[in-house]
Amino acid sequence: MEPLLSVEHVTLRFSGVLALADVSFQVPTGAFYAIIGPNGAGKTSLLNVLSGLYRPQQGHVRFDGRDLDGRSPQARTRLGLGRTFQNLEIFRGMTALENVKLGADLRFGYPALLPRARREQAARAWAEEVMDYLHLAPYRNVPAGRLPYGLQKRVEVARALAGRPKLLLLDEPMAGLALEEKQDLARYLLDARREWGVTLVWVEHDLRAVMELSDGVLVLSYGEVLYEGEPAGARENPRVVEAYLGAEA
Amino acid sequence: MFFELAKTLTDAYSRRFARAVRETYAADEAYASTPLGRAGLAFLLLALLAVPLLLPGYPVYVLTLVAIAAVGALGLNLLVGGAGQISLGQAAFLGVGAYAASHLAGPLAPLGILLGGAVAAAIGVVLGLPSLRIKGVYLAIATMAFQFLALWVFNNWEPVTGGIRGRNLPPAEVLGLELDRAERLWYLVLAFAVPLFFYGKRLLATRAGRAWFAVRDNDLSAQVAGVNLTLAKLSAFALSAFYAGIAGGLLANLYRSVTPEYFLFGISVQYLAMVIVGGAGTVLGAVLGAVFVMLIPELLNAVVGAFGPEYAAALAAWRNVAFGGLILLFLILEPLGLVGLWGRIRAYLRTWPLPY
Ligand SMILES: Nc1ncnc2c1ncn2[C@@H]1O[C@H](COP(=O)(O)OP(=O)(O)OP(=O)(O)O)[C@@H](O)[C@H]1O
Ligand SMILES: [Mg+2]
Repeated sequence: MEPLLSVEHVTLRFSGVLALADVSFQVPTGAFYAIIGPNGAGKTSLLNVLSGLYRPQQGHVRFDGRDLDGRSPQARTRLGLGRTFQNLEIFRGMTALENVKLGADLRFGYPALLPRARREQAARAWAEEVMDYLHLAPYRNVPAGRLPYGLQKRVEVARALAGRPKLLLLDEPMAGLALEEKQDLARYLLDARREWGVTLVWVEHDLRAVMELSDGVLVLSYGEVLYEGEPAGARENPRVVEAYLGAEA
Repeated sequence: MFFELAKTLTDAYSRRFARAVRETYAADEAYASTPLGRAGLAFLLLALLAVPLLLPGYPVYVLTLVAIAAVGALGLNLLVGGAGQISLGQAAFLGVGAYAASHLAGPLAPLGILLGGAVAAAIGVVLGLPSLRIKGVYLAIATMAFQFLALWVFNNWEPVTGGIRGRNLPPAEVLGLELDRAERLWYLVLAFAVPLFFYGKRLLATRAGRAWFAVRDNDLSAQVAGVNLTLAKLSAFALSAFYAGIAGGLLANLYRSVTPEYFLFGISVQYLAMVIVGGAGTVLGAVLGAVFVMLIPELLNAVVGAFGPEYAAALAAWRNVAFGGLILLFLILEPLGLVGLWGRIRAYLRTWPLPY
């Protein structure tokens, strides 16, 4: 079976900086796939290539049986490629519910200038279901920008999930969260995978969480792939160990 | 510890509440879903219908002006408060609507007004194109340039606009009845304004509103969230211009004449003031802003009348400065405008005398 996502020989350069050097990997349907690496390794750049914000100089991205090359971010989202950001990109002036409904519009859309009461209600019901899942319902009418940080992150995840993506890209979803919040989020993500069949690709610094949750891992350093495969194998890989020790030293 | 408890409680409550609420989404999504709300709405509509019966001529004339301005301000609010795109060209669209309507007047006036809206919307799409590339101050300057270009056209395209002398219109006519006074035209204004208000309110509460707000808050992540940026921006520009075009057409039928001086740059500034003073991004804000901005000059005129006519010229000169200052004041002190102020007063009264 063809993998859901396949990245082939992607190279991305920013005037001098080699952000991604010939990166290739594949993510099968239903995976909980992790991308790790020291700061500046190119993890965010890789996600930006996948969601169409950066255009790589070389390489191809295939998703769900289609070539993504040249498609706009919006078109990719509509094909089922969801995304959350490292530094929190919720819509601060909209309420939590409006944020999630914006995601739901991907499923229940109608021409924007011709509102349809039925579909609007369907979008509402679905948005409430997602918010219920992530325990966001009590905050539905709070402007998202006024929520505490952890809840804002959750709203962003809820918004992305409400679009029922086939694949969800999460850029450091747990950064800055308290331990309990991290555990909650992990549970929500696992639930979403089981319940809605969402394949997950997440960037994470917390190695323990990665080892516990993920079934595949890509290790990047200075834009290069150090390791690709089972999480357990990463620990024994000398290049990975060196990169991490080097980063810590 | 306290927080934990609160969280457990709210979680449990929320699950039950969500279940209860789910049955009522339909009601929640509709307008005025409570009996009280419905009664209030019915009362408001009746009061609007009764205005010409209850008030003498001049106040009705002023209210007609306010209602027309509210339509134009609502349009601008969809663009500025909704999609976050600044525009200093609303008066130009008013003009486009007014001139277009002046060519289909008399018994055809309702059609002419619609034509004004349509022509303005088409031009609005064109003005929206630069917004796909530029933002903020640069966009403001581009719309300002459009405003001056439009004025030049109004002054010089004689066959269509009548040049400096402008154009005169016969009174609008509906079912054989001449709407030659504000007391009568009021109903035609309502016939356009009321549906446009419900439509605007609906748009802001549904998919279009969400797409616009998302673009306003963060246009890059809006795209990643699946919003079609081009469509969102152009539709906001088109609708904003459509509302202004309708307002312009109504204005032409109220003044029964159209000349370039009705559509000067200062009027565009006034419309922006209505949006910002009233409250960006809400329908109520547009109405409050229009009332406030249109009634201030009336008050000032009354004051000047008391002092003597020699102050009138000085006052006119300072008016735009005053509006500019007002915009700045609200932007700094109360970005949510009168709507926000009202919300805070209400919250204060609800909890009074306890501060929290
Ligand atoms: N838009 C850009 N313009 C220029 N250089 C960039 C740009 N985006 C990323 N880079 C560079 O590419 C490299 C990889 O950055 P990236 O943000 O992808 O790293 P990261 O792995 O996400 O790091 P972190 O763990 O800190 O989030 C860095 O050297 C960065 O400076
Ligand atoms: Mg990063």
